[in-house]
Parts: sequence; C-alpha cells; structure tokens
Amino acid sequence: MISAIPSDLEAGNPAIVTRDLMKFYKKNRALNGLDLTVPDGAVYLMVGPNGSGKTTTMKILLDLIRPDSGHAEVFSISPATGGARVRAAIGYVPEGRIPGYEWMQVGLLLRHHSSYYPSWDSDYADSLIKNLEIDLTRKFRKLSKGESRRVQLVMALAHFPPLLLLDEPMDGLDPLARDRVIEILIDYISETSATVLASTHHIAELDKLADHMGVLFEGKLLAQNSREEIHTSLKKYLLQVPEDWDGSPDLSNAVVHRKGTRPETSWEIWGDETYVTEQLKTAGAMVRSVVPLRLEEAAVAILAGKEQE
Amino acid sequence: MSVLLHIDPSDTRPIYIQIMDEIRRALVVKTLGPDSPLPSVRQLAADLRINPNTVQQAYRELEREGLIYVQRGRGTFVSASVKPEGEKETLTMIVAKNALREAHRHGLEADELISAIKDMNSQLKKAPDEVSKGASE
Repeated sequence: MISAIPSDLEAGNPAIVTRDLMKFYKKNRALNGLDLTVPDGAVYLMVGPNGSGKTTTMKILLDLIRPDSGHAEVFSISPATGGARVRAAIGYVPEGRIPGYEWMQVGLLLRHHSSYYPSWDSDYADSLIKNLEIDLTRKFRKLSKGESRRVQLVMALAHFPPLLLLDEPMDGLDPLARDRVIEILIDYISETSATVLASTHHIAELDKLADHMGVLFEGKLLAQNSREEIHTSLKKYLLQVPEDWDGSPDLSNAVVHRKGTRPETSWEIWGDETYVTEQLKTAGAMVRSVVPLRLEEAAVAILAGKEQE
Repeated sequence: MSVLLHIDPSDTRPIYIQIMDEIRRALVVKTLGPDSPLPSVRQLAADLRINPNTVQQAYRELEREGLIYVQRGRGTFVSASVKPEGEKETLTMIVAKNALREAHRHGLEADELISAIKDMNSQLKKAPDEVSKGASE
C-alpha cells in the first residue's frame, strides 16, 4: 500500500468484501492479502498489470477456485459455502473462452445456459442478440474473440443478476461493438441498479462508467477509492523549483509519483490541495498549476510510483 | 425539445459538475427555459455514455440549488422561477477562474491577463477574422 493513499473504503452494505485473501498457484503467489470492498451499486474498476490477481479474485468470488486463506463475501454470502446461491446472483464474463461447449451452436449454447436460470428473460436476451448482431447458427468454436465476447455478455446479463463480474469485457471488440456494449451496460445499470466489478487494461474505455477504482499490484491493493475521492485528493502539481530542491519534508509520505527534472518538475501528490500547495511553497517551490487526474492517469501514477519506491 | 450537453473526458471538472455547468450554459444561451423538460437519467446517461448515478448526482445537486424540479411519473423540468442572469454570473466566474489558472501556469499576473483581454477584445472588434487567425497561430 502506498502510505499516502487511504484504501479503507466506507461502504454501509457492500456487495463484495474480501479480507486478507491469499492464493498460491504452486509456488506462485497470485493474491497476497487482498482487502477488496465494492459498495452496493458501484461500478468498480479493477486495474493492474498482468498477474496482479484480478482474474483470481473473480474466480474466488464465484467459488470456481478457493483461497488458501482469508475470506470473501458476496452479498453477505461466503462463496465457499453458498457457491450456487452466489453464482445465481452473478453475471460473469470470463477472460477466456468457455471450455466444454466449443462444439455447440450459439443458439443451443444460449438455450442450454438459460435453463440454469429461472430468472432468464428471453425477450431481453433476444433484444441483446439483435443489438449485438449475434448469429445463432454458428458454432461457438468458430467465433472470433470479439464474437464470443458478445455471446458471453448475453449469457451474463439475460438472467438479470444484481452483480456483474466482467473480466476484460472489451477485449477483442471493435470500436462500434465497444460503444454498443457500453450503452447496453448503462441501460442495464439504470434498469437494475446492479453492482459491477470490471477488470480492464483499457481504463479510458470504462472511465466514464466507473465510480470506484482499485489498483492491484502483486496480489495486493495499492489504492482503492471512489472516483470523487481520487479526483479531489490526487492531483498533479506542476512546479518550478530551485536547482537543489529536494521536496517538502512534510509531504514525504504524500508524494505518489514524480517526473521531470529541475527547474520544472511534475509531482502527483495525495492530499488536501490547499495544504499541499502551502507546503510546497514553504519548501521553496513555485506552484504553476494543479490539475486533477483522469482515472487512467491516476492508475499509471500509482503503479509508476510503486516502481519508484 | 432536447438539449445538447457536451462532456469532455479530458476536462478537469468532475463529470457531474460538467453536466451541471452545461445545463447552466443551456439556460444562459436560452436553449433551455422555464419548465423545459430535461432528458431522463437513463436517456442522458446513454447519450453521454456515462454512469446513470453520475447523471442522478448532477440532477440531485441542481434540484437542491432550485434550478430544476422532479415531477413524479412525468420527468424532470427546469424551474419556472429560474433566473438566467444569476446563472450567467456563475458561469462567468467559472470562465474567469479557468483563465486565471491558465495565466498562472504561464507565469502571467492577473493584471497582465486583464489588460490583454481588453486589448484583444478591441482588436477583435476591428478585424475579427485576422485576429482569430493570429491568435491561433
């Protein structure tokens, strides 16, 4: 955890909680004490480099795998003891393809899938199929990555789950399909007030949808905050500084990331803007501008700052 | 009637503030007037490709400020008593603040900016085309 950034999200009735989750694959540590909190009704973006534990986390929430220690709750139910109930409440778009059903025609695959869900809404499924231009007669095996993604989205949404777990949902989709998917998700959220936990490498694509972000690194959270808190508290300070300037001692714990050289340098700092600006001035810097960061910039600053440590 | 709201992802303001400011702008330029209907939360969220909760938040704040009202089952409307002049003042302050920030980033004092704005304005009045070309170079 970067000491500067608080990560104890306040949530009265969270949809997802994990506490101190640990998971090893043989000797490979996938999760290293993950404390995730996803508030009810949030659109939570999980970002981080490959292997930081995003997919593993989703699989634990679905009880497709079990953690080595720690615990998880989905709507106050432990996936380990209430796996079926938890899965019924979740719409899941997995990262890869669905093994086992490769030989099925898409239409049959959807019918088969729908039989597991009493709440399956065929009219809604049909409208999604039309909207996403899915050909029901094709074999699932023959679909491109983007095409299978669309089918998986129908499978995830049409039973109206209160929680969506989307693992790289935009992967392989062309720009128009991405835009459609965004629109479908917005409609879905408007209609159902569902909670969404999505992982992505393309933060900008989901930026306007997200209201929370967690940054994962090596199986742990570096930061976990509401969009508003990130916007208010994490800012880029463009500074003009003396040759031998070495920062403000009072801010040493608050600096998330720094770049550029003297005399002009840009520091990303977490804290109250007025206080930070005062400290910088006192330390001899001239503050040229203070700008908030987009989610993508914030994630990059947090991850790059980790490397600077 | 529908209003055109513009949201800029690279803007430094939070999206819900941008929506609020865009509605103020629509009031000032009179594309929205007293009792005009606003798009539904779902519609505006889908149009702008943003989280419906963000639209909800903007509408809630505007309602708190008394700029809009919600009629259950019918939709959201601009208040009958809305005063575009007051909103104009708010917008002017926002524009001024942005300009001052930009000036400071470029190492300019407020006085220098103000006199430059006056100069530029009188030049624009004389030869609008040439000045706009010159300014963009």
